[in-house]
Amino acid sequence: MATSRPPAATFAESLRSHGPARVLALLEARPDLAVPSPSTLRSLGARATSRTSLERAVAHLDACRLTVLEAVLALDDATRPGGVPADVVVRAVLGPDADADDVAAVRDALADVRTAGLVWEPLPDDPAAAPTQDVAPVRPAPGLDELLGAHPAGLGPSDDAARAAVARAGDDTDVLTRDAPPGAREVLAALTWGPPVGVAPRTDPRARAAVDWLVEQHLLLAVDGRHVVLPREVALALRGGRTHRGAAVRPPRPAGAQVRDETVEAEAASAALEAVRLVAHLLAVWQEQPPPVLRTGGLGVRELRRLAQTLGVDDPTAASVAELALVAGLVSDDGDDPPSFAPTTAADDWLDLEVPRRWAALATSWGATPRTPWVVGSRDERGTLRAALDPELHRAWVPALRASVLGVLAAQPGVSLDAHAVLEVLRWRSPRAVPPEHAVEGLLADAALLGVTGAGALSPVGRALLEGLDRPPTPGRVDALGDALETLVPPPVDELLLQGDLTGIVPGRPSTTLESLLAGSADVESRGAAVTVRFTADSVTRALDAGRTADELLDDLGAHARGGVPQPLEYLVRDAARRHGRLRVGAATSYLRAEDPALVVGLVEDPALRGLGLFRIAPTVLAAHVPAIELRAALRARGLSPTVEGPDGQVLHAEGTAVRIAGRRRPAWLGGPPARRPRSLRPDPRAESIEAPAPEPADARHARLSELAALLVATAGPAPSAAPSPRSSPASSLGSSPGSSTAASTASDAARPDAGANGTTATPAIPATPGTPGTPGGADQADAPASDTPRGEGTSEPADALALLRETIELGGHVWLEVVGPRGLPDTRRVRPLRLDAGRLRAVDADREAELTVAVHRIASVRPA
Amino acid sequence: MADGPLIVQSDKTLLLEVDHERAAEARRAIAPFAELERAPEHVHTYRLTPLGLWNARAAGHDAEQVVDALMEYSRYPVPHALLVDIAETMSRYGRLQLVSDPAHGLVLHALDRAVLAEVLKSKRTAGLVGERVDELSVVVHPSERGHLKQVLVKLGWPAEDLAGYVDGEKHPIALSTETVTTTPDGAEIRKPWAMRPYQAQAVDGFWYGGSGVVVLPCGAGKTIVGAGAMAKSGTTTLILVTNTVSARQWRDELLRRTDLTEDEIGEYSGARKEIKPVTIATYQVLTTRRKGVYTHLELLDARDWGLVLYDEVHLLPAPIFRMTADLQARRRLGLTATLVREDGREDEVFSLIGPKRYDAPWKDIEAQGYIAPADCVEVRLTLPEHERMTYATAEPEDRYRLAASASGKKRVVEQIVAQHPDDQVLVIGQYIDQLEELAEHLDAPLIMGATTVRERQRLFDAFRSGEINHLVVSKVANFSIDLPEASVAIQVSGSFGSRQEEAQRLGRIMRPKADGRTAHFYAVVARDTVDQDFAAHRQRFLAEQGYAYRIVDAEDLGAASDTAV
Repeated sequence: MATSRPPAATFAESLRSHGPARVLALLEARPDLAVPSPSTLRSLGARATSRTSLERAVAHLDACRLTVLEAVLALDDATRPGGVPADVVVRAVLGPDADADDVAAVRDALADVRTAGLVWEPLPDDPAAAPTQDVAPVRPAPGLDELLGAHPAGLGPSDDAARAAVARAGDDTDVLTRDAPPGAREVLAALTWGPPVGVAPRTDPRARAAVDWLVEQHLLLAVDGRHVVLPREVALALRGGRTHRGAAVRPPRPAGAQVRDETVEAEAASAALEAVRLVAHLLAVWQEQPPPVLRTGGLGVRELRRLAQTLGVDDPTAASVAELALVAGLVSDDGDDPPSFAPTTAADDWLDLEVPRRWAALATSWGATPRTPWVVGSRDERGTLRAALDPELHRAWVPALRASVLGVLAAQPGVSLDAHAVLEVLRWRSPRAVPPEHAVEGLLADAALLGVTGAGALSPVGRALLEGLDRPPTPGRVDALGDALETLVPPPVDELLLQGDLTGIVPGRPSTTLESLLAGSADVESRGAAVTVRFTADSVTRALDAGRTADELLDDLGAHARGGVPQPLEYLVRDAARRHGRLRVGAATSYLRAEDPALVVGLVEDPALRGLGLFRIAPTVLAAHVPAIELRAALRARGLSPTVEGPDGQVLHAEGTAVRIAGRRRPAWLGGPPARRPRSLRPDPRAESIEAPAPEPADARHARLSELAALLVATAGPAPSAAPSPRSSPASSLGSSPGSSTAASTASDAARPDAGANGTTATPAIPATPGTPGTPGGADQADAPASDTPRGEGTSEPADALALLRETIELGGHVWLEVVGPRGLPDTRRVRPLRLDAGRLRAVDADREAELTVAVHRIASVRPA
Repeated sequence: MADGPLIVQSDKTLLLEVDHERAAEARRAIAPFAELERAPEHVHTYRLTPLGLWNARAAGHDAEQVVDALMEYSRYPVPHALLVDIAETMSRYGRLQLVSDPAHGLVLHALDRAVLAEVLKSKRTAGLVGERVDELSVVVHPSERGHLKQVLVKLGWPAEDLAGYVDGEKHPIALSTETVTTTPDGAEIRKPWAMRPYQAQAVDGFWYGGSGVVVLPCGAGKTIVGAGAMAKSGTTTLILVTNTVSARQWRDELLRRTDLTEDEIGEYSGARKEIKPVTIATYQVLTTRRKGVYTHLELLDARDWGLVLYDEVHLLPAPIFRMTADLQARRRLGLTATLVREDGREDEVFSLIGPKRYDAPWKDIEAQGYIAPADCVEVRLTLPEHERMTYATAEPEDRYRLAASASGKKRVVEQIVAQHPDDQVLVIGQYIDQLEELAEHLDAPLIMGATTVRERQRLFDAFRSGEINHLVVSKVANFSIDLPEASVAIQVSGSFGSRQEEAQRLGRIMRPKADGRTAHFYAVVARDTVDQDFAAHRQRFLAEQGYAYRIVDAEDLGAASDTAV
């Protein structure tokens, strides 16, 4: 069919005819094309039609754009050499009586896929004609047919005979099957909306007759002995010219419970306060007992469960809380031997902040982190349990997905959406790259934990966080976020109601001083809008242990208590104080006892034994700061003859000290550099395919791309209006003209003084941008050689070679193909390429009248014939 | 809403600030669905439980009212999840109904097909229900009515019992309209008498609901409510009480407050086995088993009872529950001071006896002057050196006995008694040796398990009439003895203070005093022993009940009491 088309135009030519604005738009729509910077429009075109880049571009299309693209692909055939007109696309997608908004959506989508270089307009006859606002008829970019599968929109292959049959029937499709045997209509109906391939019946004679009749009438094609396929023309006729039915051209708005603003705010505020409290609690627990780090770098299951119990939450929440502390830089692997997780110095700074600021620090850190706490507790491919805080638990796409998820919530303010509903929208937004459901669930759970959502809807603080997600956090923004929370939370309460049943109630959110007073002297019984605590002998003893006296404690309590300290509580405190310290505990390494007090006193006074740190505990008992063996040796040296007692009675005391270590980096909320990845994490190869390019300020990016676009258009030679008509010079369709090629080199050299400075004049225009060596497909390496390949010489560069093959397939022509044979010897043949698919080239060798299939990696070079 | 008296916690507790100007209003609004857990001086704690919410549903409140009440009085926004949970929980009550079908007899009728399917799928309902009548109904074996209701509560789909009751054997009973008191000189004084308003409300609430529980504090006249219910029913009645003394008191009170004569009231206890139109039986006799068989079960079927009354529902023993499961066709009234059970079987009370039908806020009744205020004092006694040494080296199981019967307590009791020369003083203890010693010391009579019922009654009467001022009692006197003029109680030792026991002991002195004086409740405790630990439980309970509670050292006793009185 390709041969029937006049050798009019190609994608590459169309690209070359673009002005800088179009090229810039293309580069902005597909940023991967600009890294590393392509040196010519030709290599840009090659890259834009490479499978990797197309896949990337298509993966980010939403359902509407993908539908439009499929429609263009399905409708693009020999009858429309000039491309598919926009209104045909609209009708095919929406049907005849479409809603105006839907039509506008489809037209926008068509414009967008054109901007992204996924469809292109065959060159207008008059190159000087001004570009119109509306989209001209378009054709799909080469390579898309491979990508979107054999049956776009569930349509089979084109067939000329079928087309003729349909044309004969005209508009009335019933005519097609007027004389059909019974069952034929049913067969057609089953295949109409795809998949178009059916199994031909073997046994049922009636069905066989029907299928045979349909094949005879060219309404079905026999693929092989077993299968039949419905030709595209027949299917389109039966579908009434439509490619899609019920296409969702506008994003779904999933139903969710409507939640009142006050509810959202209140829920978010209480969750935010609770999250801060949990992290602070974790720090308090871990500074006393830093949990060990697993050999693989995570937190063990048992430790996680212990943490969950201490915090009074379930295991997944505990994992999220620990991860929050990690990403905010509050805890870290201390690097000791054996290593454990301990609070960092940043934790002290954090604890000095007011609660809203603390929350803002956590929330901004969460907003930027690529970590995936929701997989904690699941097993990896090797069956190993994934541990919380494991350095491997991160995926580069998480920040982007987080922004999308929050974006979906932001689009429906005041509506409570669950993971299922959010996923419904995300699935529409990128049907070919649907995020895993558990990741969405995990992100929503974390968002709820932090108060980014309240009652399932995006909270005001969540919105504030979302608005800052595209920029690296700064201390100023963290403060602003803290202020946003401050307006939501109730003001702190400094009042305590003490009661005769030894409980105390703070009727609201306790102030920091009150909170620490109660944390040190009472046990919390219930939390929520208010806090209730109970004083027990144990809890009061804890306060006394921390160095308060009974009077101080009573004074402090009395200062906060509206009605004074009730008598039973006062009695409890005094009673606990009376009993406190009746037993004394101290540290000693060894002890010494003797029957003779005089001897014991002599030893303490002996200057020669001073280094032992001897001190008297009782008239006949001494303790020493040296081990028993050393003590015995020293006493022996003094001419005494001590004996060593068994280990019983040895006093040990481990004073709990607050461990602090320096974090490996200063956390962003303290003004440190933005975290791209948690420390000591290796880049994850699996993440690369979906990874978004490094965030770069939008204006900087725009400036860089504009410069690149201008450069590219300039290297393409004279402006499109002055370009030689492609038809006048068929050869030019296969490569840049010699002039333009030279111009490219020169312009490129001129534009890059550093190229000469590097002394690489022999291979001009090697991009200064660092490449990514070893990228499969080699699309990125195409630039340097492409520019200096003389016209007609063809190319040995894989990307250019493939581009040339695609172009030739499209136009129908011949190329010289240099193929490396199985023995490593090159063999050059003149072939007509037919199809490039799945890494194989199918071509016809005209001279030998044979069809051959060559693996792409065996193609050494391609030259236009 | 910004300044309400109520704070709703996410753990389903409600904190009510009692000094707030709208506190009383809020209390009335939440009382139907929230259980009062603690009532200390400043902030009262209520709790939302499924049973509480279902009780409210049974009383005709809906989720919207509950949510509105919370939002109306809450100082801070009410947690969203809690509101959702309330609506969800309340919607579960009544989706299943037990109804009497003219054709099929007793059927379980569902308003929601899915619920019926879920319930029938459960293994627990197997054997309790018969064949399906239609999509929404299934036949229930009449004998399994109670059991099925128990199971449905456990499954979280409590059924509304609309199947009605058997009428029972008619036996008209009328309340008296006047009280007759005999003065010491033999003259009879007649005064008009009627039920207190809240008692009448309780009777109406019960009667309207069919079956259920009336919750009234100790001393608020639960017996009268029972009598009122009997008068309303006008049928033969079976009354189940905790012990024999209590049975006698019921009998006396019924004779006094109704037109029933002695011939119409029977006692079914260890001592007597009478079955009369109104029969009072003890739990103990009903639960007596010989060779694994309940020997007195026939009592339940001895007559066609129209009403079954349960005194002290919170103490109902497990076997009675099982028997009650078979009495579902008869009207049942439970009376109690608290729905809290130490064994957590509140749901069985709910399913077998019925939902709460009336609950008078304790403070309201006190405010109306029907209950006496009380002053609670814990006296801490420092043990002498030699007793401390004995205690420290004693086996753990002997320690409580040693601490509880410390010799110094005798002196402390003496001191307290001396401080209340004009009061009726009750000394309560656990250990007979100690009590005998105390009785001897105070020259007061002792009532214990071995004391005959006749002797007990005699001593109680003497105490009541003021003939004797001091009485020493063991724990047998814990329940349902009626000592209207005891204004001082001294507890020298107790079985580890369960909340009910404490409530009962306190009840002894809470009956209103003729001269309106304050009641005193002393607990004498040995310092730094398990005795003190147990006392801490009591202290907590009393303080939670809203009593002023003080701790004094035995050495300071004189001074402290002077300031208190």
